[in-house]
Amino acid sequence: MTPEMVWVGLQPLSADLVLTAGLLSVLTADVLMPPGAKRVLGWGALATLITAFVALIVLEPTGWSFGRSYHGDAFATFVKAVFYIGGALAVLAGLESSESRWPRRQGEYHLLILASTLGMSLLAGAKDVITLVVAFELMGVPLYVLAAWSRDDRRGTEGALKLLLSGGVSTAAILYGLGTLSGLASSTQLELMANHATMMPTPFAAIAAAIALAGVGFKLGVVPFHFWVPDTYEGSPSPAVVFLAVGPKIAGLVALVQVLLAGDDGLRLASWAPLVALATLSMLAGNLLALNQSNAKRLLAFSGVAHVGLMLLALAMGTQDAIASLLFYTVAYLFTNAGVFLVVHALGGDGSIASFDGLARRNAGLGMMMLVFLLSLGGIPFAVGFWAKLYLFLVAWGEGLGWFVVLAALVSVLGLFYYLRIARAMFMNPPADPTPVKVDTSTAIAIAVCVFGVVGVGLYPGPLVAAAEVAARAIVP
Amino acid sequence: MTLPLTLSVAAILFALGVFGALTRRNAIGVLMSIELMANAVNINLVAFAHYTNGVAGQTFALFAMALTVVEVAVALAIVVLLYRTRRDIQIDLASEMQR
Repeated sequence: MTPEMVWVGLQPLSADLVLTAGLLSVLTADVLMPPGAKRVLGWGALATLITAFVALIVLEPTGWSFGRSYHGDAFATFVKAVFYIGGALAVLAGLESSESRWPRRQGEYHLLILASTLGMSLLAGAKDVITLVVAFELMGVPLYVLAAWSRDDRRGTEGALKLLLSGGVSTAAILYGLGTLSGLASSTQLELMANHATMMPTPFAAIAAAIALAGVGFKLGVVPFHFWVPDTYEGSPSPAVVFLAVGPKIAGLVALVQVLLAGDDGLRLASWAPLVALATLSMLAGNLLALNQSNAKRLLAFSGVAHVGLMLLALAMGTQDAIASLLFYTVAYLFTNAGVFLVVHALGGDGSIASFDGLARRNAGLGMMMLVFLLSLGGIPFAVGFWAKLYLFLVAWGEGLGWFVVLAALVSVLGLFYYLRIARAMFMNPPADPTPVKVDTSTAIAIAVCVFGVVGVGLYPGPLVAAAEVAARAIVP
Repeated sequence: MTLPLTLSVAAILFALGVFGALTRRNAIGVLMSIELMANAVNINLVAFAHYTNGVAGQTFALFAMALTVVEVAVALAIVVLLYRTRRDIQIDLASEMQR
């Protein structure tokens, strides 16, 4: 093997290699470094993610790696960019707060974020079932540790336990389902597995596929597998929620794309009915359950369930346009949801809606930014959330899912009601504690990036739509 | 033993695991049930590999074992943490947050 041949084989993984190198450096430095100097580790993690992002844009990783187990293409590049931004936002959120709250453990925090981001990144191009499940676990296991981060907090431990037990059942279910499909096809390639399952449809294969779908449903937190979502968000430390709420959800959808859209479309057509049912249930139940929450973290958790439902519908349709709308939606979801949880983090406190009282008077800038995110979540025109919903609804209408669009539009009005409850607390209610809210610099930068994303893409959605269409063409020919 | 028979054993084991994971009230009990499910996965993979003369299934089984071990290591640490904060590992007691 000449060096050129090695490079051709590794080029599709170049961004992931940057991430791996950064991860190992942070790990080694964390062990060797004296406790006082650990702040550098966060900067190291941030630099790693930025370098990986630049490598992704400059090198445009394309082609097959390791036989036919990994494929770099426009789709992988698009979702990797989303994952890296999500990881960088979480690192920024923890950069200064971890220095003051858990100075000795801050290296581990950034390490876990990097490891989980690496798992998502590998998932983006996995075409082999072993690669897929290993990447999925690399994403999932660090999340358990992050959720249990507040060691002395009873609620934190409880949330972590719920994430862990549902995650464990989910992993076993995914392994059973995909393992069976792979055994029936005598192959570990997702494409061959999907084609075999559609050409020889047996009840056993159908049950295995259903079990795997339920497993991914747990990870995505779609109704009826959503019970852990609000508890885990409420109990986890707020910088970690910025990460938990965004990346893993999008990664779960990407895993479904890899499995269902591999091969000749048969597996997707077969799973049409259950996917639409899960999407409708999540959209309805997420919005209805969010109505009655008194804690902003829980409210936003249920709203996230509803948004994942909408994205699942785009996946169920599975056409080139639908996948493009799904990809556009993931960007909207990234900036908007990371944004709201960053504000919750910046505010501190227990995350109850009452803690938002008078925020506009305590820190006008923070209040305005939260309003921007809430309007984007509610789908108000000229925020990115509006275009994401419009795009998805137009595609769904064209696919003959008019009833879903009408239902979703009605429920979105309901959504506005509970998003504006937070806005009302911020702007109308008098503050319980009139001291100004101070936001640390790195969190402020992260919030500014999110506002830029929400407003910038909201005003000029064209380039992102074009990029999403190119990416969708790579996965749906 | 034939392939269908082996697969049935695995399926029964998996069903038992699911049943245990849903009904057990002790965190360690739930983890053991999850282990049962994971073992069903491995029996499945190895059986397919054995009866179809493929090596892919055997490889997959090795990876599946490693994944389970990683998960259990983190899981037991969290159960120890639960015990330290509550002096109990009954999971229905661990539900202080509102529904």
